[in-house]
Amino acid sequence: MKFPVSFSRQEERAAYLFILPAVISLALFTFYPMINAFIISFKEYSLINPDSTFIGLTNYKDLLADPKFISSLVHSFHFALVVIPVQTIIALVMALLVYKSSLVSGLFRTAYFMPVVIAMGVASTLFKLIYNKDFGLLNSLLHSVGLPQVAFLSDTKLAMYGIMLLAMWKSAGFFMIVFVAGLNSIPSDLYEAAEVDGATRLQKFFKITLPLLKRTMTFIIIITTMDAIKISGPVFILTAGGPADSTTTSVYFIYKMAFQQMEMGYGSAAAFILFVIVMFISIIQLRLLKSDVEY
Amino acid sequence: MERAGHLLKWMLMIVIALISLIPILWMILGSFRPRQELFQYVSLEWHLLFPVKWTLQNYIAIFSDSSKPLGVFIKNTVFVAGLVTLLSLLFNSMAAFAFSKLKFRGRNLLFAVFLSALVIPGEVTMVPTYLLIHAFHWTDSYNALIIPAAVSVFSIFLLVQFFADVPRELLEAGKIDGASWFGIYAKILIPSAVPALITMGLITFLGQWDSYLWPLIVINDESKQMLQVAIATFTNLQSTEWGKILAADTAASVPILILFLFLQKYYVQSIVSSGIKG
Repeated sequence: MKFPVSFSRQEERAAYLFILPAVISLALFTFYPMINAFIISFKEYSLINPDSTFIGLTNYKDLLADPKFISSLVHSFHFALVVIPVQTIIALVMALLVYKSSLVSGLFRTAYFMPVVIAMGVASTLFKLIYNKDFGLLNSLLHSVGLPQVAFLSDTKLAMYGIMLLAMWKSAGFFMIVFVAGLNSIPSDLYEAAEVDGATRLQKFFKITLPLLKRTMTFIIIITTMDAIKISGPVFILTAGGPADSTTTSVYFIYKMAFQQMEMGYGSAAAFILFVIVMFISIIQLRLLKSDVEY
Repeated sequence: MERAGHLLKWMLMIVIALISLIPILWMILGSFRPRQELFQYVSLEWHLLFPVKWTLQNYIAIFSDSSKPLGVFIKNTVFVAGLVTLLSLLFNSMAAFAFSKLKFRGRNLLFAVFLSALVIPGEVTMVPTYLLIHAFHWTDSYNALIIPAAVSVFSIFLLVQFFADVPRELLEAGKIDGASWFGIYAKILIPSAVPALITMGLITFLGQWDSYLWPLIVINDESKQMLQVAIATFTNLQSTEWGKILAADTAASVPILILFLFLQKYYVQSIVSSGIKG
C-alpha cells in the first residue's frame, strides 16, 4: 500500500515521539554511565574528594596486582564453574520429568518453580537460618540421618558452597521452564520414527533430544554464565563476603571498593575488567555452541 | 525394568518437589511458632515443620515495631514497584510500537543501538549512575528508584516480538478511519496486546519487588527503605529472633506467591518467549 508523502512524514514524526522517552532514558541511564564509567576508570575518583585526577592506567595496573581483586575473580569463577554445569543438568532433569502436559506434571512444575518467585533477599535471610549450625533445618536433617553438623557459612572452605546451593535452589526452576519450552518444540514424529526403528530410550535422548535442544542449551548456558560471574545478591546477606573474604565475588568487591571505601575510579576499573571478561566468555561460548541444527 | 524405571521417576519427582518446597514451608510454618519452639524441635519429626502451639505473636511484633515497621517497607515497595510497572508499560510499549509498526528513517540503526544496551550490565554502570543520581540530588528520593527503571531494553525487545503478531492492516484500518497514531496505539494496539502487557507488567513488578543492590546504594533513610533491604537488616539486628525473621520473610513472599499462582500462565509465557526467540 502506498501512502502520500505527508502521511509518511506524519508517521515518522509520531514514531520519534513514541521512542523519545526510551531514547532519553537509555542515553542518560545506560550509555552515558557506560562512557563515564570508562572515563572514571582512568581517574583517582572519590565522592569525598571531588578533585579527580587522571592517573592513566594506574587503576588497572593496581587491580591486576591486587590479590583481593584477583581472588574475587577466582571466587566468581569457582561459583560459575560449579553452578553452570550442575544447575543446567538439574534443570534439564527437572524438565524431562515434567515437560509433558498433564495435570500432575503441571502441579510439579508449579512446585519446582516456587523458589524462583521467592525474592533473593527473602531467600537469603531464610537460608541463613536454614544453614545455622545448631538449630538450622539443614543441620537438623543432616543430624537425624546420622551425618555430622556443618557450619556452612563460617567455614572458609564451605561458605561458597552454601551460596551455590542457595543460588541453584532459587534458579533451577527458571531454567527448567526454558527447557520445558525447548522439549515441547521437538516434533513428536521424530520420536515415533525412532521407535519404529527400534531405538532405546537412551538412544532417543542422545540422538534426538539433546541435539535438538542445542539452541535452548546455548541460551541457558550463556545466560547462566553471565549471571553466575556477576553473582552478588546472596553474598551480601548470607556472608557479607566472609569468612575471611572467601565469598567475596567480583561484584561484591566492586561494591565494597566504590561504595564503602569510596574509591569510585578503582571500582569502575574493576567493573570494566569484569565486563570485558564476561563479553569475551559470551563470544567464545556463542562461537563454540553455534547451532546449525534446524528442525 | 519398565516398572522400576517408573518408580524411580516418581521418587525423583517427589524428592525434587520436597527440596523445592520444604524451605518455603519451613519459613511459613515457622513464622507461626513461639520463639523457643524453633530451637527445640531439631530432629526428624512432625514438629520439625509443624508448630506445636500456633501463634500470631511474630506478626504482631514485626508490624507493630515502630523502629522497623514492616508495613511501611511493604507500602514503600508496592508504591515504587507499582509506579515503575505503570511507567515502564507505557514507555516500553510506546517504543516497541514504533519499532515494530511504524516506518521511520534510522529505525534499524536505532533498534540496533537499543539492543546493544542489552550487553551492558548494571554492575558496570552502577558507579556512574550513582554519581548521576547524586548530582540530581536524588539520593534518598524515590526518583532514584523509579526513573532509571522506567525504561527497559529487554522489555522493549520482548514487546516488539509480541507486537509482531498484530497485523499492520488492523492499524492501518484505524488510520483510514481518521485516528491519530496515538489513537491507534491506545485504542487498537494496546487492547490487542493485553496478555503481553500483563506478562511484562508481572516481570517488571517482580523485578522491583526483588531489587536489593540499587536501593541499598541510593536509599539511606531507613523509613524510605525497600522491602528486601529492610528484611536483610532484620537478620543482622535480631539474630535470635527467628520467628520474626520468618514472619517478615513470609509477609514479603505470600502476596507475590498468590499473585504468581493467579498469573502463572503469563509469567511462564514470558520465559518461554525470551528463551525460544531470544
